[in-house]
Amino acid sequence: MSRFWRRNRHWLTPVLFLLPGLILFGSVILAASVETIWISLHAWDGIGQKTWVGLANYLELADDPQFYVSLKNNVIWLLIFMLAPPVGLALALIVNQQIRGMRILKSLFFIPLVLATVTVGVVFGWVYDPNFGLLQLFFGVFGSTAPALLSDENFVTFAVAAAGLWPQIAFCMVLFLAGLNNLNDDLIAAGRVDGARGWRMLRHVVLPQLSQVGFIAIAVTVIGALRSFDMVAVMTNGGPYGSSTVLAYQMYEESIFSYRFGYGAAIATVLFVIMIAFIAWYLHGLVKAERSNA
Amino acid sequence: MYPRPIPENARLQRALYVGGVSLVVLLWLLPLLAVMLTSIRSNEELMAGNYWGWPQKFSMVENYTAVFEQTAMLRFFLNSLLITIPSVVGVLALSTLTGFVLSRYPFRGSNLIFALFVGGNFLPAQIMMIPVRDLMVRLGLYDTVYALIIFHIAFQTGFATLFMRNFIAALPGELFQAARAEGASPFQILRHVVVPLVRPALAALAILTFTFVWNDYFWAIVLTQSDAVKPVTAGLNNLRGEWTSAWNIVSAATIFVALPPVVMFFLMQKHFVAGLTMGAVKG
Amino acid sequence: MSSVELRKVDKHYVGYHALQVIDLKIEKGEFVVMVGPSGCGKSTLLRTIAGIETISSGQILINGRDVTREEPGDRGIAMVFQSYALYPHMTVAENMGFGLRMANRPKAEIDAAVRRAAQILRLEEQLTKRPKQLSGGQRQRVAIGRAITRSPEVFLFDEPLSNLDAALRTQMRVELSSLHAQLGSTMIYVTHDQVEAMTMADRIVVLNKGRIEQVGSPLELYANPANIFVAGFLGAPRMNFIEATVAAVDASGVSVMAAGLPTLTFGGVEASGLSAGDAVTVGIRPENLRVVDKTGADMPAFPGQVRLVEQLGRETILYLDASPLQATNSDSGTGNFTLQLNKVSTLRTGAVLEVGFEIGEAYLFGPDGRTLTPRKGIA
Repeated sequence: MSRFWRRNRHWLTPVLFLLPGLILFGSVILAASVETIWISLHAWDGIGQKTWVGLANYLELADDPQFYVSLKNNVIWLLIFMLAPPVGLALALIVNQQIRGMRILKSLFFIPLVLATVTVGVVFGWVYDPNFGLLQLFFGVFGSTAPALLSDENFVTFAVAAAGLWPQIAFCMVLFLAGLNNLNDDLIAAGRVDGARGWRMLRHVVLPQLSQVGFIAIAVTVIGALRSFDMVAVMTNGGPYGSSTVLAYQMYEESIFSYRFGYGAAIATVLFVIMIAFIAWYLHGLVKAERSNA
Repeated sequence: MYPRPIPENARLQRALYVGGVSLVVLLWLLPLLAVMLTSIRSNEELMAGNYWGWPQKFSMVENYTAVFEQTAMLRFFLNSLLITIPSVVGVLALSTLTGFVLSRYPFRGSNLIFALFVGGNFLPAQIMMIPVRDLMVRLGLYDTVYALIIFHIAFQTGFATLFMRNFIAALPGELFQAARAEGASPFQILRHVVVPLVRPALAALAILTFTFVWNDYFWAIVLTQSDAVKPVTAGLNNLRGEWTSAWNIVSAATIFVALPPVVMFFLMQKHFVAGLTMGAVKG
Repeated sequence: MSSVELRKVDKHYVGYHALQVIDLKIEKGEFVVMVGPSGCGKSTLLRTIAGIETISSGQILINGRDVTREEPGDRGIAMVFQSYALYPHMTVAENMGFGLRMANRPKAEIDAAVRRAAQILRLEEQLTKRPKQLSGGQRQRVAIGRAITRSPEVFLFDEPLSNLDAALRTQMRVELSSLHAQLGSTMIYVTHDQVEAMTMADRIVVLNKGRIEQVGSPLELYANPANIFVAGFLGAPRMNFIEATVAAVDASGVSVMAAGLPTLTFGGVEASGLSAGDAVTVGIRPENLRVVDKTGADMPAFPGQVRLVEQLGRETILYLDASPLQATNSDSGTGNFTLQLNKVSTLRTGAVLEVGFEIGEAYLFGPDGRTLTPRKGIA
């Protein structure tokens, strides 16, 4: 036995090391994700027997007006979230100075990033409050009243997504700061010698060096927008009248509140497919970047 | 450096710049400051409509005491600790092992396994919600902290593996070859070479995982029900429903929930930022 | 019984043959240096002996024991890496004792071995320091000390001096040679630096494209390179090569012609398979070219114009344009001839002079690159 172990430990040990993580991740995360696709082909109340219904859930989904509301709202989230990379870059540029006190200011900018989304939700619920919120304070200055954003079907998704933007900007800012720290000083110096400055320096010398970080910031932001759930759940519960649901929230509602697990699974699968496309694009980009670095 | 550094001798310019940026920070954090301000205001004052003026009376102690005594927040807080700490420990242990193997023992299929860890990490939570909930129900773990611990360890292992693999892969390869040439077994290499060298990565990963798990809301409401196991995030949302008009109490509870990750962040800021960027940029 | 024996060692990756049927015997106590251009397989070969890399086929024996399937730690070898590979979180003493600790040896034995190695390498003062606190040369010695503490049967060195500056490199070269004399162990040393190879080796193994080109003592290889590759690889500045054609093969020898040069006749050449019209190469080392009088044409000579003069103090290197005669594969890459004078020269760029050489000091390489001229004596 010990002889066998000594001869083979150089490959057996790594296998043993890999197994716990692989089994846990595989059985809980990956297997569950695949199982959802299977469940989406059934009618199921979460307790009793599953009944095979084929693609019926998907067909129903195609005719479900709520589904299109969710889809539209996801697009709105995506568009609003696209502000995060440029604003994050701008903030990163502002704080990228070595002055006494700058470090603490920099950290203060990061705070929204470490807050729970529930916290952000509560905070912005307070901001949007039509009676005494921050927004009302601003409108009050001009002598008008703020719209009740969270109870207005036309504005609610914009308002919720804007709240979600807050931590996302901080995330992008962290990424761009790291990118700015890794700039090639020689290239910047060469740019200065060649007479580039300000905007032209940014455009021709700095941004090209930030392209990888920028790619990551965009990808992370896209995925964040598609994953949005917490803010909707905390701030509006999808309301008013289901006007602020997103796919993730609709799926949760159908499953947990309406006990339509098969239908919920179908929505999750659609979200999954959209996401897979982005993940594939993201991984492809990363592999390309890694190759070009190697 | 870009933008061009403001010269050190331009004292006034530097002071003005810091002042300007401070103003931006103030605006940036205004929503949070408003909540902080409310958390030390008395209910009477709120009723009277003094939301933004300077508090006439500081009720900080009263409000926070109320949060501890009249709500279940302390219980939720404890639950969060009971969930988060084992999750972090578990993630660190598992990902050190997987990261070590995937970076130093290439085998047929190792790239595929790595891609699964990375890809799975980006999946939306909803895609696995129903089966995971079902699994926990069947295991009898639904509505216990174990359900959340197991799920968080499993899920965070994806990101953490990516993180640890990249960190270990960036260590000089000859260190590992030298250890092998000196007769160290894989276990000895793990213990005497990998673990001492990955300490900074573990610190970064610990703070990141702590933040992710502590801040989780979705799984908290999917896998738990009762106040006895609920973490702070789910608890806070409930609280908001129950104490609708007592904004000062809700605000105090909000600050209470936000405190641990913010404190952790300021204590381990360097690790947090390094971790976040390393995880995203290199991965 | 050889200390290290390689039997038909072969290694290929997909689409790349890294080592091609290597056979080699290394005797106990020998200092063998493997040299070759980058990518020739010398490091790969060393790593297969260490067991860090596997082989596709063949056998590796150490002290007569087949270790082909054994783990590196069980082979009785110790390796010194190019980057030193010192563990940054351990002290010098811990680094040096690591291997013995892994083998669960008693603490007293580890301490004794570390102390002995530290004494040999004059590291006693540094034992409690971390690698980061040491100079490059000290780190290098710790890496060697780590190898010594394990008292291996074979020491393997993978370009250990390439990260040191020139002065330190010379010093460490001497120290390594005396260490070898002191320990008497078998040492295999990989380098791309021919000076290290020439000065340290008992025997040199010249590798090229995964194959052994020649094995022999340094002077033997220098005087009698087996082929045009070895001839060009050893020696700095490089040997001058001239493309030529066989004019005639007869009893007196082989006559070859090259534009711009009188017909050269090489005697004693093993001329089987050679016939008139074959493309051959004539090689002359730069130190064998000399400036001659135009009148004293008792040796083959050709006119040349000085393009560049490098004064090295003790010697002078001249780069000559001798068209229509062209040097191929020359150091400067220009077709210029390289001439080394062992004295200070007053010649200036543009000077025109007559260059000659003894036919007995020139080499003739066949169409396949093999050396055809007879063995030369080693001075």
